[in-house]
Amino acid sequence: MYKWLDERLDLSGLYHKVLRKAFPVHHSFFLGEITLFAFVVLVLTGIFLTLNYEPSIREVKLPDGRTVPAAYASVLYIDSLPFGAVIRSLHHWSAHVMIAAAFLHMLRILLSGAYKKPRELNYLVGLGLLGLAVVTAFTGYALPYDNYAVTATRIGYGIATSIPWIGGALADVMFGGEFPGSAKSIPRLFSLHVLWLPLLLMGLIGLHLAIMVKQKHTQPRYAERVAPGKILGVPMYPQQMVMMVILFALYVGIMAIIAGAFLAHPIEAFGPPTPQTPAVKPDWYFLWLYGLLQIIPSTWEFHLFGATIGPEFIGGAVVPGILAIVGLLLPFVDTRKDKMRYMELPSEHPVRTSVILALLVFFLMSSLAGYKIDFQQQGSILGNNAVLWTLVLGGPLVTYLVSYTLLRIFYGKKPEREAL
Amino acid sequence: MDEREIRLRTSRRRLFLKTAIGTGIGLSLVSAFYVGASLRPKAEVTPEKEPLKPGDLLVYAQGGGEPKPIRLEDLKPGNPFVLAYPMDPKTKVVKSGEAKNTVLVARYAPEELAPEVAQHAVEGVVAYSAVCTHLGCIVSQWVAEKKAALCPCHGGTFDLAQGAKVVAGPPPRSIPQLPLKVEGGVLVAAGEFLGDVGVKADRGHCRTV
Repeated sequence: MYKWLDERLDLSGLYHKVLRKAFPVHHSFFLGEITLFAFVVLVLTGIFLTLNYEPSIREVKLPDGRTVPAAYASVLYIDSLPFGAVIRSLHHWSAHVMIAAAFLHMLRILLSGAYKKPRELNYLVGLGLLGLAVVTAFTGYALPYDNYAVTATRIGYGIATSIPWIGGALADVMFGGEFPGSAKSIPRLFSLHVLWLPLLLMGLIGLHLAIMVKQKHTQPRYAERVAPGKILGVPMYPQQMVMMVILFALYVGIMAIIAGAFLAHPIEAFGPPTPQTPAVKPDWYFLWLYGLLQIIPSTWEFHLFGATIGPEFIGGAVVPGILAIVGLLLPFVDTRKDKMRYMELPSEHPVRTSVILALLVFFLMSSLAGYKIDFQQQGSILGNNAVLWTLVLGGPLVTYLVSYTLLRIFYGKKPEREAL
Repeated sequence: MDEREIRLRTSRRRLFLKTAIGTGIGLSLVSAFYVGASLRPKAEVTPEKEPLKPGDLLVYAQGGGEPKPIRLEDLKPGNPFVLAYPMDPKTKVVKSGEAKNTVLVARYAPEELAPEVAQHAVEGVVAYSAVCTHLGCIVSQWVAEKKAALCPCHGGTFDLAQGAKVVAGPPPRSIPQLPLKVEGGVLVAAGEFLGDVGVKADRGHCRTV
């Protein structure tokens, strides 16, 4: 059988050329793979969900007599199917894991300087993938059309419309008219969520992997001592393949237990949309933006060329926009002349490492500000805007100074390879 | 560059091909924009989505079933505000299809109200748009100790007795007041909202709906 196929398809040629490719091994290299596995699980569970979901807000009658939007009713139906609620939870939690793993993967790239020549392009593709994953997750948020989801999506619509000059048009295209209210919103978000954004993700993931294979993976430092100038790693097949299969099985197993034990987004408890706004908290990856929106005062508003630049635009779009631009420019500012083969050690680049740590503290502190209302209701000192601002701005600064000083004291003696 | 290439570069044949391809791409882009414009759907106005009009009755927004008009004596000073939708007095259609029609109604002791608020209030009852000016959530929580309305999304707090002045949180503007009158013991809108409702979207050069 194998011989028959090999004579026609030259399988052994493929084996020697592609499947014997050496893969460097390091525990942090699995983060990208976990992102990929989460995506695979999202697609598979998503197929099941689309087959049973109805993207419409037309009113339907439930058996108990309530009149609810069809989308809400169809998610209730999905939850009633055998393992339906588990599969929906698996989809929900996998989205969280995909974004978390992609973010950690990016941190690894940043800390080890792997964005430098020749991998600038793939770094940009990766940033695009992270952004696209977050947008995809957001477009899925409204689909169950319960009170919580509608409120959360409404905030997103508000942020989109607050963008000067183009906000109204952009929000109309993405949300299919005014959200909530337009009957075209859910079909539009559904189409984006299940078709266009996943297609784009698949294309970019393919590109990401193809560039990685072409350019070869960065190697851990020990590879330079063991086999200088060569690629040190295990072959794609069978070793790497076995590791991937084990990791995938582990991923599915662990996530299935989590999804079985913790139902995601209990729409029955949230109920169909009503004018009563629930106390919404966004998912953790939006919590930092949510926190910034809460501590930016209403006075931060000014007019520019006929457009209003308000606090919701500053918090919701300017701050993440600045971070994105800094991220995009990084590989062209922090450069090196020769091609990079081995990971850089974070300890050898105190400035870069400290900035990354400071950025993490900034995310944590602004996420903390997301609990401002809760702190206020408990009478905690953290409900105070000035205290929160001090934490959001001071925390990263202190982190940077402490980290930089410590790195200099403990690693400063060694000769610097580079300035940054 | 060899001779043949130089000749080709200056030939009319190549110029013709380039022009043809350029025109093709240009025309397809123009038509793509024309088709793409339909990505912004026109808002469809059904009776439930009609904007609030003076003379509309205010009915309770909570609970299904028969629309229940808000009676003046239902409201007591110091009680939490209630959320309401306007109802067309003739067709009896509750205009709940448009979020921007959501109204909040609260009652204060008449002397608590600022004078400019009191002139649009009736016996201490004030009504405002319930759509937060920050990011469009429905202002739905009553803060009893401040006698103020709170938007649970980002904590915007409005003092309803003082013209819905923003007393905490990020909203850029007050929520606009709705003038009220009483007809047969029932609350009725006496005019339109006294300001822009909801998030001030940058509509730019778009069509008006």
